[in-house]
Amino acid sequence: MAHIVLDGASVELAIYNSRGRGLKSEILRRTVGGGLQNDRDSSIQVVKALSEVSLEARDGDRIGLIGGNGAGKTTLLRVLSRVYPPTSGIASIEGRVSSLIDLAMGMDTDATGYENIEMRSIMLGLDYKQAQAIIPDVEEFSQLGDFLSLPIRTYSSGMMLRLAFAVSTAVHPDILILDEVIGVGDAAFAERAEDRLHNMIQKASIVFLASHDNNSIRRFCNRTLWMKGGKLMMDGPPDEVLAAYAADSAV
Amino acid sequence: MSFVVRGAADVLGGVESWRMWWMLAKNDVIRRYRRSRIGQLWLTLSMAAMIFGMGAVYASLFGTSMSAYLPHLGTGLVLWGLISSTIIESCLSFIENDSIIRQVALPRFTYLLRTIARNLFVFAHNLIILPVVYLVFGSPINWCILLFIPGLLLVLANLAWVGYLLAILSARFRDIPQIVASIVQVAFFVSPVVFKPSQLRIDHPVLVLNPFASMLDVMREPLLGNLPSATSYLILLGLLIVGWLLSLAFAGKYSHRVVYWL
Repeated sequence: MAHIVLDGASVELAIYNSRGRGLKSEILRRTVGGGLQNDRDSSIQVVKALSEVSLEARDGDRIGLIGGNGAGKTTLLRVLSRVYPPTSGIASIEGRVSSLIDLAMGMDTDATGYENIEMRSIMLGLDYKQAQAIIPDVEEFSQLGDFLSLPIRTYSSGMMLRLAFAVSTAVHPDILILDEVIGVGDAAFAERAEDRLHNMIQKASIVFLASHDNNSIRRFCNRTLWMKGGKLMMDGPPDEVLAAYAADSAV
Repeated sequence: MSFVVRGAADVLGGVESWRMWWMLAKNDVIRRYRRSRIGQLWLTLSMAAMIFGMGAVYASLFGTSMSAYLPHLGTGLVLWGLISSTIIESCLSFIENDSIIRQVALPRFTYLLRTIARNLFVFAHNLIILPVVYLVFGSPINWCILLFIPGLLLVLANLAWVGYLLAILSARFRDIPQIVASIVQVAFFVSPVVFKPSQLRIDHPVLVLNPFASMLDVMREPLLGNLPSATSYLILLGLLIVGWLLSLAFAGKYSHRVVYWL
C-alpha cells in the first residue's frame, strides 16, 4: 500500500541568473578552464522553496494543498512525485506515483493521435501490450473518432487537451498528484471529465490536490495542508485549515 | 565507493527502462524527417555526398588513387559521425529532456541512452553506404570483419561514460556544450579520418595519445580487412575501466542534483 513519510524535507533551489551565465561565458572565452571554479559568485541566488516539511500520508488520505502563489505547493508536489530529491531531510515515498501537472508532456505534435497514445502510455510506465490495451478506453472517452489517425498538430487546443486528459487518466496510480482540478473542453465533455477524475481519485490510495478553489478542496479532500513561504503552517481537516488560511489572508 | 554504487544503480535503472529510451530515440529520428518524401534516406544521401566529394578532393591532394583512398575515407567519415555526434549530443541529454525530467522520476542514464540509441539509428543508416563503396572500389573483405562488433561495443561503452559525465557537467555549466563542440571539431583534424595512420610514424603522439585514433582503429580496420593494433585495444580498455569508475563516482555524487540545474 502507498505510504509517504517526509521528515524535515527541505529544498533549496540555486538560481543561476542570465547575467551570471553571460558573464561566465565571457570569462570562459578569455581564459578557458579557470572559469569553472567560479561557481560561488554573487550571481547565484539560493531560494529556500521548501523548509523543514514533515508529514505522513497513508492509504485513504485525500490531501488538499492550499497557500498563496510561491508558497511552495508545486515544489512540495514535485518532492512527492520523486522529481525533486530533498536537499536535506528525508522523503520516503512508496507506491506508483503519477502526476497530472503537465498533461501534454511528451506529446509530439507531428505524430498521430494513436502514436501519441502509445508514447504517452510508455512514459506513464506501461509496456507495449498495456499501451495497446488502453486504446479502446481512450478512443471511447475522448470521442475523437477518426481524428486519432491524424497528426495532432491539426487538432484544436480543446481536442488536444481531450486526448492528453484521456490518456493521462487511463492509468490508475497508487499516488495521484493534481495541480488544480482540470477543466477540459465543452460543457458536455467537462462533465464527463469530472466524473472520470472523480473515479480516478476514488481508486487512488493517496491523493494530493493543490488548489486555489476552496470548493474543490472541500469536495475532494479529507485533510488539508496550508503552505506559506515554504513552510507547512497547518495540517488538519479542510474546514479548520481553510478558516485559518482565510483569517491569515484577511490580515 | 558508495557513490560508485549509487551511480551504478542509476545506470542499471536506465538500462531497465529501455522501452522509454528506445521509443524516444526512434521517434527522434522519425520526427526529424517526417513529411519529407525520402525521409531517413536523407541521412544516407548526405553522408554519401560528403564521402564522394571529399574523396575526390583529398585523393588528388594526397596523390593517391580513388580506389586506394575512398574506402579508408568513407569508413572513417561514417565512424567519425557516430563518435562526434554522440559526444556532442550527449552534452544536451539532460538539457533537452528538461520537461520530462521535471515531471517523471526516471534514472538519469535513461536520457543518455536516448541520445546514444538515436545516434546508433543514424549510424545504421550511414552504414548502408559502406558496402557500396567497398564494391565499387574493390576493398578486400575477410574474416577480420567479425572484429568490428567487439570494436563497436568497446567504443560505445567508452562513449557512454564520456557522455554521462558531459551531460551532468553541461546541465550545470551551459558553456560546456560549446567547448566540447569546438574540441571535437579540432579532434577531427588531428585524428586519422582524412589521412591514413600509415602516413605518420607508428609512435606519433597523434596516434598514441589521441583516444579517437584508437576508437577509429578498432572499428575501421576490421571493415577494411586488416587487424587493429593491440595498443588500440589496450588504450580503450584502460580508458573504459578508469573512465567508468570516475564517471560512476561523479554521477553518484551529482546526478540527483541535475533536476535543480535545469
